[in-house]
Amino acid sequence: MPVGIVQRDAATAEFFDGTARGDLLIRHCDTCDGWSAPQARTCPHCASPGLSWAPAAGTGKVVTWSVVHTKGLPPYTVGIVELDEGPWLQLQLTGDLPEDLADLRVRATFEHPEGGEAVPVFTPARVWKAP
Amino acid sequence: MSAVIAGLGITEMGKVYGRTAPEFAADAVRLAAADAGLTVSDIDGLLTNTGISGDVGLNLQRDLGLRDLRLLSEVQAYGSSAGAMVQYAAMAVESGMVDVVACVFADAPLKDPSSGAGAAYAGAGRRPAGWQGLAAASGIYSANTMYALATRRHMRTYGTTSEQLGHIAVAQRAWAAKNPLAQMRDPITLADHQNSRWIAEPLHLLDCCLVSNGGVAVIVTSADRAADLPQPAVHILGWGQAHPGYVMGPGSELGLVSGAAISGPTALKMAGVTIADIDVVELYDCYTFTVLLSLEDYGFCAKGEGGPFVAGGALGSLAVNTGGGQLSSYYMWGMTPLSEAVIQARGQGGERQVPRHDLVLVSGNGGLLDHHSTLILSPNPR
Repeated sequence: MPVGIVQRDAATAEFFDGTARGDLLIRHCDTCDGWSAPQARTCPHCASPGLSWAPAAGTGKVVTWSVVHTKGLPPYTVGIVELDEGPWLQLQLTGDLPEDLADLRVRATFEHPEGGEAVPVFTPARVWKAP
Repeated sequence: MSAVIAGLGITEMGKVYGRTAPEFAADAVRLAAADAGLTVSDIDGLLTNTGISGDVGLNLQRDLGLRDLRLLSEVQAYGSSAGAMVQYAAMAVESGMVDVVACVFADAPLKDPSSGAGAAYAGAGRRPAGWQGLAAASGIYSANTMYALATRRHMRTYGTTSEQLGHIAVAQRAWAAKNPLAQMRDPITLADHQNSRWIAEPLHLLDCCLVSNGGVAVIVTSADRAADLPQPAVHILGWGQAHPGYVMGPGSELGLVSGAAISGPTALKMAGVTIADIDVVELYDCYTFTVLLSLEDYGFCAKGEGGPFVAGGALGSLAVNTGGGQLSSYYMWGMTPLSEAVIQARGQGGERQVPRHDLVLVSGNGGLLDHHSTLILSPNPR
């Protein structure tokens, strides 16, 4: 399934500035140097509210996933990915996916639907071939 | 001055069209008051919990013509709200600030199919901005998908299987067959569960709850007041809540441990009993997986052993979701387990009555396993 249209709001403006130029921005704590998810408003490691935006490497592994079946649409895959920096992101998984995605190494790419912001998706870090 | 549940009101339920959620709410309160042997004007406290329709709230006072209330609030902790409302009502009664509190949930998400509108829970077509919009644009806009992700994590961690979840669906349907209030009463088999269409893998259709229009209310008052009332009093012996605040990162227990692991022991300790003493178990069951995880977290089996536990006959010896639950009877958020708990504690379960019902555990669950409430109910005082 192609990703849908999303518009930015005040909380997501910088994040989508990042996706537009191909950066996956997450939150970095000014106090303890800990990483957190882009939605975080407080550092989960030290509870500081002082968080800055910083680009993630964009690589990680699949924690859990689901193939979603919706009437009128081909099945599509979503998942929770643990970035190498630690934070979890819930996004769509695309590309040539094996049946068992547990711990699959993935990397972020960006789709650019017309009329909306660039949306990050995860795809296998290496081309996967059926055994 | 201990608190009891003295009245239960359940409206017509299911695919009931042409009535709004506020109308269901008002009807449920009237039915609960009548069941308690009270008039609506005896109510001096009102707690409301709105469903996805979002329109049951403070206006219910005027809809019911209630004057001079001494307690009035909207409560929102999603599926844990029903238990939470009873807790707040019990504390208010025990403090002496109020005598008779009605706690009500109502919702009307189903639209008449002839109107062409689908159930609001489907979520498709919503196009929020910002973070919610990013999730929706990624195809993550339904509770089905979120619970599928949690279920898969449990499966990958502990080896839980879809067939094991199927045992929960089959057992609850068998209970529903004995419940005249249940929407789905035809027996199902494990094969039916496995062959039901995928919703969001690993969840099949028969892993998922119903969607219902209707309303449910309970009346909470003091044991002293209830002594002269017609229904057997249901004593509220213990309660607890838990809101884990899962971190989305390494070490997160999302899908592995729910708040029931905290709210359960809190409630049991307050009631002065242990999990082994519980006779009847009424668990929030938005999905079969929610039941399995709750059984583990309350301590009916060890962590990670919920799958073998439910597949190994435990649901034949332990009375779980005796009305069919949200999977097979009706979906009234936390009022589904609470209403069946009141029926069982009173001994009014008819064909499905559990013979020994001295201690009934009620579990609420809201969000993506984010909010839990537990009640310990009994026909006997402490």
